Amino acid sequence: MNGNAPAPSAVPFWPDKAMDLSAVAARWYLGGFFVYTGLEKVADPVAFLKLVRQYDLVHTAFLLNAIAAALPWFEVFCGVILLAGIAVRGAALTLVSILIPFTGVVWHRALVLQAAKGLSFCAVKFDCGCGTGEVYICEKLLENFGLILLGVWLLAGRGRQWSARYCVLTRAALSQSSQPVVPGAD
Amino acid sequence: MALAGAAFAFAANELSPRGLALGRNYFPGGARQSVSPPKLTQTPPAGAPTTNADPAAAEIEQRLKDKGLQPIDRLGAERLFRDPRFEQGLVVFVDARDADHYREGHIPGAYELDPYHPEKELSNVLAACQFAAQVVVYCTGGDCEDADSTAILLRDAGIPNQNLLVFGGGFTEWTDRHLPVEPSERNSARAPGQSK
Repeated sequence: MNGNAPAPSAVPFWPDKAMDLSAVAARWYLGGFFVYTGLEKVADPVAFLKLVRQYDLVHTAFLLNAIAAALPWFEVFCGVILLAGIAVRGAALTLVSILIPFTGVVWHRALVLQAAKGLSFCAVKFDCGCGTGEVYICEKLLENFGLILLGVWLLAGRGRQWSARYCVLTRAALSQSSQPVVPGAD
Repeated sequence: MALAGAAFAFAANELSPRGLALGRNYFPGGARQSVSPPKLTQTPPAGAPTTNADPAAAEIEQRLKDKGLQPIDRLGAERLFRDPRFEQGLVVFVDARDADHYREGHIPGAYELDPYHPEKELSNVLAACQFAAQVVVYCTGGDCEDADSTAILLRDAGIPNQNLLVFGGGFTEWTDRHLPVEPSERNSARAPGQSK
């Protein structure tokens, strides 16, 4: 300490800190959400298979089974990765990439049900196979929109504090910088 | 990331005891589930004959006929349930719902055969169906197609199609009419010493 004021960059700027903490909370929420919904589907794969079939997306048994078998575990995988913080941006990108088309598919299904039931759009309630049971479509769309926003936020590089990879890299960098220089080692 | 996730997902499915068999057709019969909202067959007033004026019942009947299956309405199912041949094992009821629903309650004497997990019960059910003149298969009713799948499973296993009947109204219509229900295991409601 030489009595000089610390450099501005060294001063923790609280909004930045708050932003990082919020991003970590978002990462844990997103990770926890996908672990929960994935495990809900894994618990009853036949029920999920029937729900996937309702969308009428694929017409071969193998593809239908592959989607219903792999998707829940894939969600669990991405959720755990996010919770642990191993490859935050990769996991966030993957989840955003699957959330966007899923939201479109759920929206389309809701339109079909709306036409069949003659209800207003937001009164349509069904089990979309999202792992949260029967939900009103407008609530589901809002939820998905929020999840996509969280994923995009994580994609921007936020939320990597308290993550396995961040901790390992930081420790490695610190241990490298604190290595004593051995004279004549070169 | 996506590749690692996919590899993990398929490996986990393989290792899971509840995992799906990728090569199996869980929905035999070809027809896909209707995109219309779930509809349960409406119960006519007591004593009234079941007719297909109800569009939901007509839709179920058409779906079954498209799969080459014979529908039976609630009155027909009830008649067979009270038929003396039922006690002799010549009329057999097969419940196509999952084990949890079966244990909560089923048509008395009905065999359990979940079409998604038939391995455990199939041989037992087949043995009973081979002797039967009529086999009535049911599930929850309405848009539930598990009874269709089970009937096709039995047909593929050698039970003559003319002996197979699918009760489209299913367990929902049965219980709506306050007809007898047996909880727990098959024949658990019977008095000791009663056979069949």
